Amino acid sequence: MKSEVERLKIGSVIAASIWRLVKVNPAVWAIVALVVIFSALVPDKFLSTSNLVAILKNFAVTSMLAVGPTFVILLGSIDVSYMGIWMFGGALVWLLYPYLGLASIAIYPIFGLLVGLFNGVVHVKAKVPSFILTIAVTAVLAFLTTYVRNISGVLTLIVPAYNFLRESPIPYIPSPFLLALPVIVLALFIMFFTKLGTYFCAIGSNEEGAKLAGINVEKYKILAFTLSGLLTGLGSIAIFVHLGCQTRVDFDPSELVRGLAAIVLGGTPLAGGMGGPHRTLLGALVYVLIFNGLFLLPGVDPNHLKLYVGTLLLGAVIAASRALKGALIA
Amino acid sequence: MGTLDPILEVRDVSKTFDRVVRALDNVSIMVRRNEIVSVVGENGAGKSTLMKILVGVYQPDSGEMYQMGRKVPFPRDPLDALSRGISIVYQERGVIPHLKVYQFLFLGLEEKFTRLGRLQLGKIIGLAKSVFEELGLKCDLASSMYELPPSTQKMVEIARAILSVRLMVGMDGEAEIIPVIILDEPTAPLSIEERDELFNYLLNLKKSNSFIFVSHIIPEVMKFSDRIYVLRDGRVVAHHDLSSEKVTEDQIFREIVGRESYYDLWARYVYGAGAVEGRRVVLSVRNLTKKGYFENISFDLHEGECIGLFGPAGCGKSEIAKALYGEIAADAGEILVDSRKVKLKSEPYARVKLGIGYFSGETGKELFLFWPIRKNVSIVNFDKVTKRPLKIISVISFNAERSLAEKIMKKLRIRAPNVETECYSLSGGNKQKVSVGKWLEKSPKILVLEDPTIGIDVGAREEIYEVLLEMKKNGIAMILVSDDPKEYAILCDKIISIRGGVIQATYTNEEFRRLMGL
Repeated sequence: MKSEVERLKIGSVIAASIWRLVKVNPAVWAIVALVVIFSALVPDKFLSTSNLVAILKNFAVTSMLAVGPTFVILLGSIDVSYMGIWMFGGALVWLLYPYLGLASIAIYPIFGLLVGLFNGVVHVKAKVPSFILTIAVTAVLAFLTTYVRNISGVLTLIVPAYNFLRESPIPYIPSPFLLALPVIVLALFIMFFTKLGTYFCAIGSNEEGAKLAGINVEKYKILAFTLSGLLTGLGSIAIFVHLGCQTRVDFDPSELVRGLAAIVLGGTPLAGGMGGPHRTLLGALVYVLIFNGLFLLPGVDPNHLKLYVGTLLLGAVIAASRALKGALIA
Repeated sequence: MGTLDPILEVRDVSKTFDRVVRALDNVSIMVRRNEIVSVVGENGAGKSTLMKILVGVYQPDSGEMYQMGRKVPFPRDPLDALSRGISIVYQERGVIPHLKVYQFLFLGLEEKFTRLGRLQLGKIIGLAKSVFEELGLKCDLASSMYELPPSTQKMVEIARAILSVRLMVGMDGEAEIIPVIILDEPTAPLSIEERDELFNYLLNLKKSNSFIFVSHIIPEVMKFSDRIYVLRDGRVVAHHDLSSEKVTEDQIFREIVGRESYYDLWARYVYGAGAVEGRRVVLSVRNLTKKGYFENISFDLHEGECIGLFGPAGCGKSEIAKALYGEIAADAGEILVDSRKVKLKSEPYARVKLGIGYFSGETGKELFLFWPIRKNVSIVNFDKVTKRPLKIISVISFNAERSLAEKIMKKLRIRAPNVETECYSLSGGNKQKVSVGKWLEKSPKILVLEDPTIGIDVGAREEIYEVLLEMKKNGIAMILVSDDPKEYAILCDKIISIRGGVIQATYTNEEFRRLMGL
């Protein structure tokens, strides 16, 4: 049996670690504030079961767009190929379904991995700036997706055979969330329990130092891009199911912003070196709460929602980068 | 005013950083007309802080300042100092390589030579010519700064300091204000001959200016100064007027370090009483060459031996070290680790695998400042802090990480609350200890050291030396590159003198100490 003193000690350790969590993750404050504000303004709508389920669903989708690229952003590079992987990966599933049957869903992670590997090798070996490279990749893949739809003469690239995935075995827990969970666990494991997380941060915060400490910088950069592609590929399955077992066929820049917004709001600076998937998850939650809450507010035109959220993000990003600069100087 | 009256004086200056580090403690110095005053002391003795107060970079906590006998406030900023006749030539970063000499000379002063937005080049060049003539400086005004030899670059910098004082003060003949030019370690990048050239130049300029000369090289200080202030731990511990008293170099040295000598450190740790001949050769370098940097470098490094590559900055010593740990690739020659040839073109990670580690004292170069000590230690030690439940997965064990970091903290006496302390909050010496500590458990065969104790105080230095010497005693071989002759005397068994990229001579520790007067 634990003595009173020991129990007190454990209590203070827990309190200290919670305090630390809140201190280093300002997104926690934002989440608490958003929940309090929207619960007060529109309690019946915001706290309804269906809305909470919707939040969970949207959280799964947003985090699946953002968790993979977080590793690349840790390096101080950027990877926006997630849109391309998600869109064209779905087209590939649709194309291959007649031949491979249900197994064709496995093309998602494989395709993601290959795109990530390609990005990494070209970025590192040919020294192509990562943003230009990955946005070009996304442009090509988005075009190909639309092209597949057009020449097939169909409206949507839907694969109804996967509909069974849409049903969740657990009540109130949406299936996209369940599908996202293993990806989240994998990302957190890589970040905290393998040396990869440390190496990525090392390269992002002090590339010269990482090199001098004997890290094969080129190899781990390629690995980060590959990992980003793989996680996005895996995560895209959750988004695919969320959209009713189909993929998006037209490119929407606001979806592109969504992933980056989750990363930056969570507190992984685009300059790299700190943060990680855990922060991205918090950032995804912040993003989803803002969107969801504003949607419920009376008097907010849903058509203008993207504008509001976009403007809000702009402010948040500027504030976050300023606060960070302050922290670095102090 | 008599010639002996001070033109610039500070009294009882104190300065504390971060409320704890006492950088200056009631320091008083003065400068007379037409003299060279030296301020000597170790790194961290407070020399730089004092100079920065004189030019307005820092404000002192307390103290008084007098100019021409009148009490004046301390300068608010460098521009204010300049307008009062005080200017500084910094040790490094002074020269802008791609500017032409006259452009550099008037950098920041162009305003005074602009009419209707157009720079009056003719006027500038004319003035530059007359100034150079007056100062006895011979060089082509139209050449770029980087084309000049290092000593001439320094002279141009000094000329610029004098010129800016004159222009800012607006002196027209009636020399009420005599420029006081502070020279911060001006000879650091220069060879011996170039140093003499620079000093002859200064002796000439002394007729119309006064100089404060900051240095830690005792012989040159003795040769060219009129008076010497010795600073130690933020206090003036001695003041000598060389025109009236006889002082020996030994005496000054003792005053600087505050005790007899700490070169006995080396002797305490000498590996097998200096006999390395029977030891295994861990690194052989044969005719290593990189065009334009170094040529035909050959030596053998034994287990537990430390070889110093000694020479002025730019002699190729740092490039040789870089070629050894894989930062740059040599063009020709051979590097053998444990008698096996290794590729000349390589990367640091491949060299780490071969057992070559690297440690620099430059803060932040290979330390992750925003990481806890624990992570900074485990970055090179992942094989020690991970477990393998499956063959392909290695999982970090936080307990192993923590206990490894704790072990190193204890061994190196790193002063920090715990292993989770982020490194930016540590003092310079403790940062360096974390930096070197990570190699302690890794035990590389060879450790390349670059300025291992740059910018830290005496006490911390000694601790770093002890750690390094202990590692050496345990058989780790070392290559040292530094700017400080004392460091070579403390750490090295053998010193290879390099000049212009080629080996000039090889000395034993004793020979080297005799030669340097240490």
